[in-house]
Amino acid sequence: MNVTVIGAGSWGTTLAKVIGENGHQVLLWSRDRDQCTAINKSHRNPRYLKKVKLPATLKATHDLERACSSQLIVQVVPSHGTRRVVRRMGEHLRGDQMIVHATKGIEIETGKRMSQVIREETCVRKVGVLSGPNLAGELAQRKPAGTLVASKFKEVLEVSAAVLHSPYFRVYSGDDVIGAEVGGAFKNIIAVAAGICDGLQLGDNTKALLLTRGLREMAMLGDTMGAQVVTFGGLAGIGDLMCTCASTLSRNHQVGERLAVGQRRTQIEKEMDMVAEGIKTSRAIHAYATHKGLELPIAETVYRLLHSRLGVKRGIEELMSRPAGDEFAELHL
Amino acid sequence: MRPEDKERIQVEVVSRIVERHSQRARTAPEGYLESLVNDTLYHERLRLEKENSKLPRIKADKAFYRPFRKRLSHASGSDLQQMLEEQSRHFIEEITGHFDDQVYRVATAAIPTGLGVLTHAMSPWRLLALKDQRSSMSDHMEIQGEVDHVRALQEKGTLVVVPTHSSNLDSIVIGFVWHLMGMPPLCYGAGLNLFSNPMMSFFMHNLGAYKVDRRKGAGLYKELLKEYATCSMEMGYHNLFFPGGTRSRSGAVEPRLKKGLLGTSIGAYVGNLLAGKARPNLYVVPCTLSYKLVLEGETLIGDHLKAVGKSRYIIEDDEFSRPRKILHFMNNLISLDARIIVRFSKPLDVFGNRVDPEGHSLDPRGRRIEPQHYVMRDGVPVYDGQRDAQYTTETAAEIVRAFHRDNVLMSTHVVAHALYRLLRAANPGMDIYRLLRSGGEMPSFPMGDVHAETERVLTALKEADNPPQFGPDLRTTDTQEIVADALKHFAIYHTQPAARRRGDRVFHEDRNLLLYYGNRLRGYDLGRRMGGAR
Repeated sequence: MNVTVIGAGSWGTTLAKVIGENGHQVLLWSRDRDQCTAINKSHRNPRYLKKVKLPATLKATHDLERACSSQLIVQVVPSHGTRRVVRRMGEHLRGDQMIVHATKGIEIETGKRMSQVIREETCVRKVGVLSGPNLAGELAQRKPAGTLVASKFKEVLEVSAAVLHSPYFRVYSGDDVIGAEVGGAFKNIIAVAAGICDGLQLGDNTKALLLTRGLREMAMLGDTMGAQVVTFGGLAGIGDLMCTCASTLSRNHQVGERLAVGQRRTQIEKEMDMVAEGIKTSRAIHAYATHKGLELPIAETVYRLLHSRLGVKRGIEELMSRPAGDEFAELHL
Repeated sequence: MRPEDKERIQVEVVSRIVERHSQRARTAPEGYLESLVNDTLYHERLRLEKENSKLPRIKADKAFYRPFRKRLSHASGSDLQQMLEEQSRHFIEEITGHFDDQVYRVATAAIPTGLGVLTHAMSPWRLLALKDQRSSMSDHMEIQGEVDHVRALQEKGTLVVVPTHSSNLDSIVIGFVWHLMGMPPLCYGAGLNLFSNPMMSFFMHNLGAYKVDRRKGAGLYKELLKEYATCSMEMGYHNLFFPGGTRSRSGAVEPRLKKGLLGTSIGAYVGNLLAGKARPNLYVVPCTLSYKLVLEGETLIGDHLKAVGKSRYIIEDDEFSRPRKILHFMNNLISLDARIIVRFSKPLDVFGNRVDPEGHSLDPRGRRIEPQHYVMRDGVPVYDGQRDAQYTTETAAEIVRAFHRDNVLMSTHVVAHALYRLLRAANPGMDIYRLLRSGGEMPSFPMGDVHAETERVLTALKEADNPPQFGPDLRTTDTQEIVADALKHFAIYHTQPAARRRGDRVFHEDRNLLLYYGNRLRGYDLGRRMGGAR
């Protein structure tokens, strides 16, 4: 089967590599013509995962129309750029094609999930989401990993599993698109908080508390949006949360570590080369939670640390001084 | 339906059903066909036990099913197939049968009184003043929305009209409006209980109605109904069905739809593509029906409140079964010039995409697309139940959005909502059932408060994300006029008015009706934006 991966960042490149290594012809789309030329010539991505050799079945292209000719399109563009790219793709797509996105974020301006953005900008209905504890660097080295593909369409699940499942990458399936998207997006915020924990060397008790209460906020948010709470106990929920919060490789984690030593967001963004979705997602979630009257204390604290003048010490004090009460209050289990 | 098509459709539906199940039986565990035949026998026996065994139709049914039990005990594979075919044929003959004497007798037994009034004293034509004064009836109906668009599309494909449903009069109204628009009759599955009213059955003929007996619980029967709808669409007959499944009990515009019948339009589309038809397209036309007063309002809300979730699916003893009540209702509406508004929404393809007047499907950004791709796999159209169920869910969501966008509100709805809000605000924390029963602390509200609350509700509606339409009586800026108009209407028909003015105060009298009419404003997030009541 012909597959296209839109977005030649580290995650897009890794997914294209997995698909190519499974014996499928895969097109990797990038808007950067030079990057495409380099990939096709050297079978390496000159910007990300530079040491990783890419399979011969992988070809790079900057021609979006050609990229949109595949039956399955894996969309791996950062959340803030998704609408723009997808709108252009909409010129070339047909109703029998499938789009699985692997973007862990929410559109700031609208608070919409990526599957909603795809649905609004294209005629494609067979949409899915790939989300799980997947650090690109580890997967690119073929270290065993697993992920969730969620879609309302069985065909999407079957085709995704057929092209992505491999001896080192297990692809599980589910139908809770909202849950997978909320899990993938929300964990970025908790990862920032975990980075702060590590930066301040607060220890494992604190981190476990953060993760567990963070998971509860994730489930609360998901529940409000229409997700199935059980999804958050799976790969796209607790799985991804554990991975992102434990790994110092994560961009969001690095943002947290820098906040812990007193850096401000503007400075961090300037110094980091890659996109940390947590920064943008925290704004989108803040807007949504305010609109819905949802109480998400950890997410709100991270938002204020990043986007207003709240200091780390004060933020932790505020969280710890909140009344405790019933652990699962207001959660529909 | 044309007589030659009636015969054809019967044969086609039965052969599809028998073929489908025979094919499944080849791969299914042993006993598949037997349990299918048995299931129908079981459900029919349950039904027949509850029916009046003196009725000829019931006698005939019992006689039909009697030999099956014996035959089943020593049936071979081909015997079972034969039995399935016989059962299917028996059902389909009833479904497609015209309003005949037998059904009429069943119906008259169900409603012993009042029937004479309609059968002798007045003809349906006279009742609705249609025959010689067609214009007088049309004066009381207002057709709004995408009328030209809908007309244009009938040349391009088969139409599936899906209206909101609040009264048994809905199908008459749609049938009449459709006729005024110069459109060919609609194929419509009418509940058998509707045939209990001869006026209604008269209109059913004009609607091209087939019969749906909701008492029949057998899976085979439901499958036949769906297949009948599918076949009729494939044969190019425009269809009408109420996607809410039943009349809205709460008075709200349907927030959820039944997907079974709606999904048949995708099946018909795939069938058309596979048959290589020149005009394979089907177009879904959502439309809203808005009444200032609803004939069966009291019964419906009563049923809704009796036990939410346990309401009766079939109500046989409502206002609709009392011809004098209908007459009273119609006369009052006509005397007050209370128009019934039918508003057509933008038509959709069967996948919920908008279509242009040429019949081309459009993507969300208005670009033309080819809808056949949605049902293709490897370049060929294929049936896929799971996929099509999902498409249907999305189409249903689009229809619900259209319902809310094209919901035409009238003075009675807005004022009822405002009064209900005042009632809730005056009795904070009181259990809603208690409040509806007792009326709470304040039996009345100052006129000024009612005007102010009505004004607030109207403003909030205008600011909603997906705002509704305002009927002619709401187009004035004079809130006093709106409140007076609503109170005037409340006074004319129901047993007890929802609210009544005395001096400079408004007394709430039938609070259930306030809830019922006010519920028409549900779905616009007023509770959150205005605070308080909902």
